[in-house]
Amino acid sequence: MKQTKTKFFLITLLIAFGNTLFAQLSVSGTVVDQDGQPIPGVTILDDNNKTNGTVTDFDGNYTISVPSDGTIKVSFIGYQSQSIAVSGQTNINISLEEDISALDEVVITGYGSQVKKSDLTGSIASVSSADFENQPLIRVDQALQARAAGVAVTQTSGAPGAGYKIRIRGANSITGNNNPLYVVDGLVVGNINNLNASDISSMEVLKDASATAIYGNRGANGVVLITTKSGKKGKAKIQVDSFFGTSQVVQNIPVMTPAEFAEGVNLRDAAPGKPATIDADRIAELRAGAGVNWQDYFFRSAPFSNIVVSASGGSDDIDYYISANTYKAKATVINQDFNRLNLRANINAQLNDKLKVGINNFVSRSENTGARVNLATGIAWDMNTPPRNSSGEYNSIPLVPGVGNGTNMPLLVPENNSVENISDQLISSIYANYNITDQITLNISAGIEKIDFTNSSYEHGITGPNKAVVKDQQALRLQNTNRLSYKNDNPDHAFQADLVHEQQSFEMTFREATASDFFTDSTNFKELSLAGIQNTDSGISNEKLESFLARINYSLYEKYLFTASVRADGSSKFNKDNRWGTFPSGSLAWRISQEDFLKDHSTISSLKARASFGVTGSQAVDPFSTISIPGISSENNYPFTGGIPSIGVAPSTQMPNPDLTWETTTQFNIGFDIGLWDSKALLSVDYYSKKTEDILLSRVLPEFVGPTSITQNAGEVENKGFDISLNTVLYEKNDWSINSNFNLSANKNKVVKLVDGIESMVLGNIYYNSTFPVNPTRVEVGQPISTFRGYHFEGVYQTGDAQGTPGHAKYRDLNNDNQITSEDIGNIGDGNPDFTWGWNLNLDYKDLNLNMVFEGAQGNEIYNFQRMRMMGLGSAQFHAVHADFRDSWSTTNPSNTIHAGTQAARDANQWLSSQWLEDGSYTTLRSASLTYNLKDTLSVLGVEQFKVFVNGENLFIITDYSGFDPVSTASGNSDVDLGIDYNAFPISRSFSIGFNLTF
Amino acid sequence: MKYTYKIFTIFASFLFVFSCSDLEEDRSGILSLDNLQSEGDLVAALTPIYKQLQVTYRGFLIRTNTFGSDDLTTWWGGNKAPLRVFDGFNYGNGENADINWLDYDWKGFWKLIYHANSLVNGLQTSTAPEASKAIIEAEARCLRAIAYLSLVKVYGNLPIILDGMTPTGDEQRATVLENYQHIEVDLLFAEANLPAPGSTANVGRASTSVAKTALADLYLTWAGWPVKDPSKNALAATKAKEVIDMGYHTLLPINELWSMENANSKESILSAQYSKEEGATGNQMPAATSFHMARGWSDMYPELQFFKDFPEGARKDATFVTDIPNRGFSGGKIVTKTPATISWEKSERFHPMYGKWTKSEDLTVGPRTIGFRPIEVYRYAEVLLIYAEAKAASGSMDASALEALNQVKRRAAGLDPNAANPSVDVTSATVNDIVTEKGWELAGEHKRWFDLIRTETLEEVTAKRDPKEQVPLVRQPTKDQYITPLPAEAIATSKLIQNPQGFKIR
Repeated sequence: MKQTKTKFFLITLLIAFGNTLFAQLSVSGTVVDQDGQPIPGVTILDDNNKTNGTVTDFDGNYTISVPSDGTIKVSFIGYQSQSIAVSGQTNINISLEEDISALDEVVITGYGSQVKKSDLTGSIASVSSADFENQPLIRVDQALQARAAGVAVTQTSGAPGAGYKIRIRGANSITGNNNPLYVVDGLVVGNINNLNASDISSMEVLKDASATAIYGNRGANGVVLITTKSGKKGKAKIQVDSFFGTSQVVQNIPVMTPAEFAEGVNLRDAAPGKPATIDADRIAELRAGAGVNWQDYFFRSAPFSNIVVSASGGSDDIDYYISANTYKAKATVINQDFNRLNLRANINAQLNDKLKVGINNFVSRSENTGARVNLATGIAWDMNTPPRNSSGEYNSIPLVPGVGNGTNMPLLVPENNSVENISDQLISSIYANYNITDQITLNISAGIEKIDFTNSSYEHGITGPNKAVVKDQQALRLQNTNRLSYKNDNPDHAFQADLVHEQQSFEMTFREATASDFFTDSTNFKELSLAGIQNTDSGISNEKLESFLARINYSLYEKYLFTASVRADGSSKFNKDNRWGTFPSGSLAWRISQEDFLKDHSTISSLKARASFGVTGSQAVDPFSTISIPGISSENNYPFTGGIPSIGVAPSTQMPNPDLTWETTTQFNIGFDIGLWDSKALLSVDYYSKKTEDILLSRVLPEFVGPTSITQNAGEVENKGFDISLNTVLYEKNDWSINSNFNLSANKNKVVKLVDGIESMVLGNIYYNSTFPVNPTRVEVGQPISTFRGYHFEGVYQTGDAQGTPGHAKYRDLNNDNQITSEDIGNIGDGNPDFTWGWNLNLDYKDLNLNMVFEGAQGNEIYNFQRMRMMGLGSAQFHAVHADFRDSWSTTNPSNTIHAGTQAARDANQWLSSQWLEDGSYTTLRSASLTYNLKDTLSVLGVEQFKVFVNGENLFIITDYSGFDPVSTASGNSDVDLGIDYNAFPISRSFSIGFNLTF
Repeated sequence: MKYTYKIFTIFASFLFVFSCSDLEEDRSGILSLDNLQSEGDLVAALTPIYKQLQVTYRGFLIRTNTFGSDDLTTWWGGNKAPLRVFDGFNYGNGENADINWLDYDWKGFWKLIYHANSLVNGLQTSTAPEASKAIIEAEARCLRAIAYLSLVKVYGNLPIILDGMTPTGDEQRATVLENYQHIEVDLLFAEANLPAPGSTANVGRASTSVAKTALADLYLTWAGWPVKDPSKNALAATKAKEVIDMGYHTLLPINELWSMENANSKESILSAQYSKEEGATGNQMPAATSFHMARGWSDMYPELQFFKDFPEGARKDATFVTDIPNRGFSGGKIVTKTPATISWEKSERFHPMYGKWTKSEDLTVGPRTIGFRPIEVYRYAEVLLIYAEAKAASGSMDASALEALNQVKRRAAGLDPNAANPSVDVTSATVNDIVTEKGWELAGEHKRWFDLIRTETLEEVTAKRDPKEQVPLVRQPTKDQYITPLPAEAIATSKLIQNPQGFKIR
């Protein structure tokens, strides 16, 4: 540094002496970048006399003598040059704009590597903070939604702070986990739920095998690399971002009036010689306004607020970024609250010119409180019974027993029970980077992730027998990565090589205490020792992973690019002989636009063709999957003496499989990137074909075998599809700038093979055993992973039909045996969309910015079991509440869509049928924000920037789906039960205002 | 420069401290059934077998496939469609294999059989004392036999899955006869090795009278439909008589039989225990047999004709509830409304309720009535009636058999069962008379259906059904309705052939 300074000084001196002949104006000022940081070494030239010039000093200051009517030219590599007329000014401060085309953006590819977008050979979607800075965000995954081609980000719940489901190029595994691998600043983490979106500098989604193979056995589902912000050298910068607003559910489900409900009850309960269940007087009262629409009690307008404060900066040797964030939200469903708090400190220190160290620290707490009302049964509860009687006491059960459904009054649970789920997460990593020579670097890093979950709940005596459950679960992940890198500096033969050794361990423990028979409800789960019966449970599991990786990148004449890698992984989850797996990959790219014939083409500014191939793996099974684990829990204890139960040890419900090994995914990808009209339009198209073999499959065994499941390596799944993204500058003139980022993903998922000789398997176990004796989905060869099963509904038998009872539902007799038996259950659809798309439109006019995010899916179906229950069907549901029930068949209303409302027609109705299947396609305006930048207006107060904005989320959803919304479904993260709507937490529409202050 | 190296070395060595070169799973927290060492280990492995008996007998669900008998009907509305399928005989050719609750006993008993098989396998390598091992094995095989017998009675022939086998799911169904044979082998082993009744404080555990009673039940079933081997009647009589001759079991006064205090009395031969110490799970029989207005679920109640034919007397009063309790739920408590009861004719379901389980009901736990009294699997009255029937059926009716029948009849009339009383005693009885008596004595106890199909009298009993019953009869039953369709999910995951095609008797 000292040397550089001296050089500046000498040059300045020389230039100054060479220009003493003319009597001129002395102009001085400071040159800064977009962020206001001074830039040293910027060349300032007299435009009329190229021998007259200077460079800025370390603080960005310059002084130059030029003719008072002259022009100065300011230039610095990496920034756009400017010519400024002096016009007699003696003080000219200059702000330089960075000169980066999108192709020069640096993309992070994992294990310390950064590659210019133009040099990429694999398929990677990159989202940087600039892309989402105008959208107020709570969660990190929200930023990926609609912004990355090939990345399906689905909101599976409208609960504040709740998770999103991310699938990269479809689901590979059937029962194994299909979540991508999350890597935060080089450290693999269990989840990204608590991260603060404002801390994110960039996110890269690794999609094809050449990009993911470096993560070997955990790369098969794609990898999301998250890089958090670090401080920039210069003046300390303090930033405050805040927004607050309210949310509502997007829509309610239409129901009948209470009087119509009561008439429906009487129709269904009608039996010879029996008086009406709800008498005429009461129906008259209901008509006059008595009765309840339960949704009015379940939903509310819910406020939320978010504040982020950060400070960043740095000196020559040290930079820092620290931030704090609190987010508080009530849910649109009563009695559900969410709070999140997190802190981050990222610090890097250059100890000397060879050694750099740093630490990234993140701690957070999130709290979900409140027992949730059961929407599925609650909405379908008795409309005749108000929640409280005239003296204010609960009507715990229907006024007329056996009306509505078998559950208690739905408000009892949320208003009396307690639930508190706390998650504490610590992510801490340190690294040391040592330049052994100019070309060889050794990087050693280590990290800890610790997540503690504390889930406490209490069931109040008013709802039934009181009971408290407190569960503490702790997960600890340790990681150490050692990397040796070589990089030459020959531009014609650019060569880079990395060798990596990595080890990880993961340990999970839990302790659970269940207590019941409390003599008082006053202390709920906070004092378990007051319970008459106390049980405990605990468990521990562990897994270890050791890996070696070698990777090379080679670029020939900046035209031909090659990448190859090989990774070996050893996992403790498998037995010795199957433990190690090897995962190779290779890719190449040809920058056609660097060839002479295309070099200075007027339209095509860049063109690159890419191809890649590679193998990745998945070990997404639980530890101890190879062995039998005896069942030890109260489910196996028995009171031989009629008193205190004896402890039982039951044989495993899992059949051991010592041969279990890796699931492997082979992926082939070709694509091209083309830039047109000086990169005003950038189009990327990728085609991929993935084949997953030796799938880790948890197969249901028939009951007589004993164990109910076995985890096997069996079967094959194929995913083929396109990712297309198109970034365009639509308009850029005067004060206007319009940018569009559109992407489209189409994925076709197909099961090629299951266990030998088996054509279909029942795997989704969520509904099996409770509501439906036959599972609503199954996995079948030749079909997508989740296929809906059911009878084919063909309308309603009408009076005069040759067959069937008028008013009863008609089903297709698939095997033509003139009977409707379980043989007539067929495939009736699936929950996979044909394609999904996202569109981010950004408009700037002067200091105004409008940012809109549209998003949609096409061609997926939803099994609407919420509606089925509301039609009076399903386990322990006696009567209908849905508005569609008005259109039930009767002799005077020969409906062909809804069967009759009688008990006989209900009994003849099949719950699993295409009658409850609906098109789930939708288009939504996910987010729209209007921002006004007040820029310099507050500069007198030392404020550098002040932006205010208004935002709306889910302003509209265009869909034919009749439920709350087509986005959230109850199946959560599961891929075998995709698209089942039952007791889902509806997504919300929200409005917020906020500001962004920098000083 | 030296300084840099120093820092770096310290740094690097610090990082290498944690290393996981050993990639073995730490399995020290996992227990193994292959290593049963002590008496305690044996009991721990035995416990989940009994647990499955408890789970399967917990409520009305075990009876789902037997609602066709005349001692059971259900609510015409609500969610009782699966029960109506059986009450109205809407099955028999593979249809309705996919309904709720049908597979409840299937799942419960197969799990019991698995637990028993695993324990017997574990005994092969066990180092526990031989005497303990023999008793434990006898208990496991006794319960396995009872579970198998229950399943075969309902579903017909089943694959044979016993200890020492490693089933894959590809197994085929054996014949009913073959199933009877391995059940018999298990029970004979159990009979020889189980302790005498009353010899342990563990009231829930099986004694030799359980094995003998189950054998008597097996032989009586074997003699009737579908195998129809009349030579088994004599064996049934012998085993029942052995239980009687033990002199341990007695009949309780009928009005005290169903009280909480008389749980595990000397009338009980085997019962499933439901302890309050386990929490609020209990058994659902009071709720299943109570109407909604009495804080139950209206799952099962007697058919009108059955109730009408039931002879008046102490037993009828102990068996049914005719003044239906009128209750609500408020403030976390079950409360009594006014009027406190409503006569059955005007009640919610226009039927009487069973009173056998509500007699011991607990109204203080939660929103529904619940039971903690053990559920009887076999009780002494059944042994007496099996003996009488087997003697009659084998043409060797004698004084001892009549005495057995008369003991039940005297007790039913509220009299001392052991004192002859001409006002109730009979001097002759046909098989039919005894089966009818058994229907009354064991009404609602998951016995009547099996007696009706075994003796092939289901058709004639159904013909007498009161037309005022609200659950419609889809058809008059034939032999096709004697067995239940195998659960659709079991068919889908295995190579089993559905009834009636897969039903093979010999």
